[in-house]
Amino acid sequence: MQLKMALAGNPNAGKTTLFNQLTGARQHVGNYPGITVDHKEGSLHHQGQKIIITDLPGTYSMTAYSAEELVARDYLVNTRPQVVINIVDASNLERNLYLTCQLLELGAPLVIALNMIDVAQARGMEIKADVLERHLRVPVVPIIARSGFGKEDLLKAALRVASEKEEWLPLDISYGEDLDIGIKELIARIDAASFMADTYVARYTAIKYLENDEQIVEKGREIDSRTAQALEEIVAGITAHTKTTLDVFPEAVIADHRYGYIKSLLRQGVITRKFDSDRLYTSDKIDKVLTNRLVGPAIMLLILFVLYKFTFGWSEAPVAWLEQGIGWLSGFVEKTLPDGLLKSMLISGIIEGVGGVLGFVPLIMFMFFGIAILEDSGYLARVAFMMDRIFRIFGLHGSSVMPFIVSGGIAGGCAVPGVMATRTLRSPKERMATLLTVPLMNCGAKLPVLALLIGAFFSENKARYMFLFTMLAWIVALLAAKLLRSTVLRGAPTPFVMELPPYRFPTMRGLLIHTWERTYQYIKKAGTVILGISVLLWAMMTYPGLPEEKSAEFAIQREAIATATAPEIVAESLAGSEELSEQAKIYNERIAEINNEEAEVALRNSIAGRIGIGLESLSQLAGFDWRTNIALVGGFAAKEVIVSTLGTAYSMGEVDTEEPMSLGQRLQKDAHWNKVVAVAALVFIMFYSPCFVTVVCIAKEASWKWAFFSMGFNTVFAFLMAVAVFQIGTMLNFG
Amino acid sequence: MDRNGEKKNNCRFADKVRKCFAGRRCHEEIAPLSKKGHPGRVKVCKVTGDRKICARMASMGVYPGVEADVLCSGGGNRCVLKVHGGTISLDADITANILVSQL
Repeated sequence: MQLKMALAGNPNAGKTTLFNQLTGARQHVGNYPGITVDHKEGSLHHQGQKIIITDLPGTYSMTAYSAEELVARDYLVNTRPQVVINIVDASNLERNLYLTCQLLELGAPLVIALNMIDVAQARGMEIKADVLERHLRVPVVPIIARSGFGKEDLLKAALRVASEKEEWLPLDISYGEDLDIGIKELIARIDAASFMADTYVARYTAIKYLENDEQIVEKGREIDSRTAQALEEIVAGITAHTKTTLDVFPEAVIADHRYGYIKSLLRQGVITRKFDSDRLYTSDKIDKVLTNRLVGPAIMLLILFVLYKFTFGWSEAPVAWLEQGIGWLSGFVEKTLPDGLLKSMLISGIIEGVGGVLGFVPLIMFMFFGIAILEDSGYLARVAFMMDRIFRIFGLHGSSVMPFIVSGGIAGGCAVPGVMATRTLRSPKERMATLLTVPLMNCGAKLPVLALLIGAFFSENKARYMFLFTMLAWIVALLAAKLLRSTVLRGAPTPFVMELPPYRFPTMRGLLIHTWERTYQYIKKAGTVILGISVLLWAMMTYPGLPEEKSAEFAIQREAIATATAPEIVAESLAGSEELSEQAKIYNERIAEINNEEAEVALRNSIAGRIGIGLESLSQLAGFDWRTNIALVGGFAAKEVIVSTLGTAYSMGEVDTEEPMSLGQRLQKDAHWNKVVAVAALVFIMFYSPCFVTVVCIAKEASWKWAFFSMGFNTVFAFLMAVAVFQIGTMLNFG
Repeated sequence: MDRNGEKKNNCRFADKVRKCFAGRRCHEEIAPLSKKGHPGRVKVCKVTGDRKICARMASMGVYPGVEADVLCSGGGNRCVLKVHGGTISLDADITANILVSQL
């Protein structure tokens, strides 16, 4: 028999950390509220028993004020897990027990996991778990989810509660005589009609009616409209009374009494403090500076710039080593294998294609490491708070910051989780505007293209240019959001309320796990999707190949050169010795010119080449030649493919195997490329259609209409920008 | 049923005390949190605006009668508030709807 267990708690209380500890899963955790927006399942075996654990999204209450609260409550009442582990942040007990009260009122079989007990001790708090347990009449187990301390005791307590198999017994809290009389009246009506009796106990339904819980009120109207109407009338009377006498809605009175109940609990010897409870902790003192209206944004920009310096400075050498390694491998295969399709596929399709993407792994890794530091320390939540002011101007919400950052706001994310992270936004219009603009950020797949072109054409100041292009992505995304919010997504803004997690020192283990889980996704994608698309694009660039008569023409030209050259020179060239005579070098160059021309004609004749040439009449307005077009078309499948396809397209024409050049060097030497073309290409790549996976994700989260809209709108917009950059840049002779 | 009438007759002692208590402490210098230009300790006197937002604020510990620390005030704009041990950030729309008095 398997046991169902749910993890519930406030945002950022450590639910996912505990979930990972218990199940061995690697769900993403961070010091940022709202990482888990949907429930996740995992399993473990303990004492021969299979336990299914569900990680619920973090909530402050059990009233349907947000999507997370709905998900959590619906799961609990519909699935009825045998045990609910309520993770409580011991260092912030008062706030966290507010949810506990509501779980107890629901009657859920509870075990309280008193998490971060070490942080509470460091703050001078001594929490007596046994006293709390006695008062609440549920097991209370001190744990440290990060280290796994107390995990076994927690599981033991959970199994004990599950084995008792008692009915869900709700806790009754008094809400003052006024409300208590009303609640009694409501309960009488609910009991008489067995109203929603299969889901909630009568008292709970009554309280939710008083709290104006929209979901329950709506459901009530559907189930039994007469009783629902009677309940609503009673509630209207109570509301009028509280508004007249106290000038508040009943939910404020309820909150007041719940906090009062918690305070009285804590005063009964549960908590003893070495310091004054109202003292400001280090975290608060840091906030006084870091969230300051004037100093805060300046520090934020400085921190982001330092992140770029760190990423590009430290990753430069390993990226160069990897590039050299890939170049060496390419040269090795070139020398070892006989000429033919297999060799061409290995070099042009796989090594140049996948290698081009893998070469950027160190850079991606350093960027993710930097982001992990910001997230784990709790600084990202402050960034959201500070950015809300700016986001508001563009019709977005402070909570849009996380989707933007996840999508690549600090360069190196992915739009797919970014699009999913928009679920934390409450307003549908703000959510849609965020969802449609997050793909404009510089995701991890665009990063190699940026690094490649910036490295090739603006190598003198890579970090600065990278920072500038990231800023450009932000500006364009925000302006696009403003445009959407002023036209198709017009509507009033929603307020910003977010709990700021305390600053924490990130653990090296946590940072490495975060860095690795994101980097691994990148490597995995390179080894699977990108490999497949690279080979497919190679095939499209290779077939149908040159017609026989054309090949014969080139063979005749080579023959003619060989005939006109002394036989010993031809023999010297074929021997391939290190030291060649001047005449042999000239012979090699002439043969290479013909080979190059043949490769180019073959590429032009290929399926991909024909597509590229077909688009050239339009794309040349932005300075893109047909080879670049092939890469850009490939980028619709996945943005990583742009680098790999450019690698393939530009390696096909290359014949100098003595000294393999990197793609960046090839582009620098190519007549079609210069600084203006590079910027136009960057602008187009940054802003054109999201990749296929993101488009599917947008369709899932919104609709196919919006998915197609984002493809069309972004591509047209990006092309117009690229044309403007190319035409103006060329006119001003910046190339 | 005359609920208001009944409630008037049954106006509870606790309510009277609370009203009296709140009235005394919040009597003067009540102003929106957004007008508070500098950090310090405040008492929440009233939360106005959309009911759903009021409810959400209450669940986060911001309701009439509660005492809080303003950690960082955006000078008539947004602010960071420490209440019930938690630190919450609020935007200008919300701070304009929270009426407080200086403690």
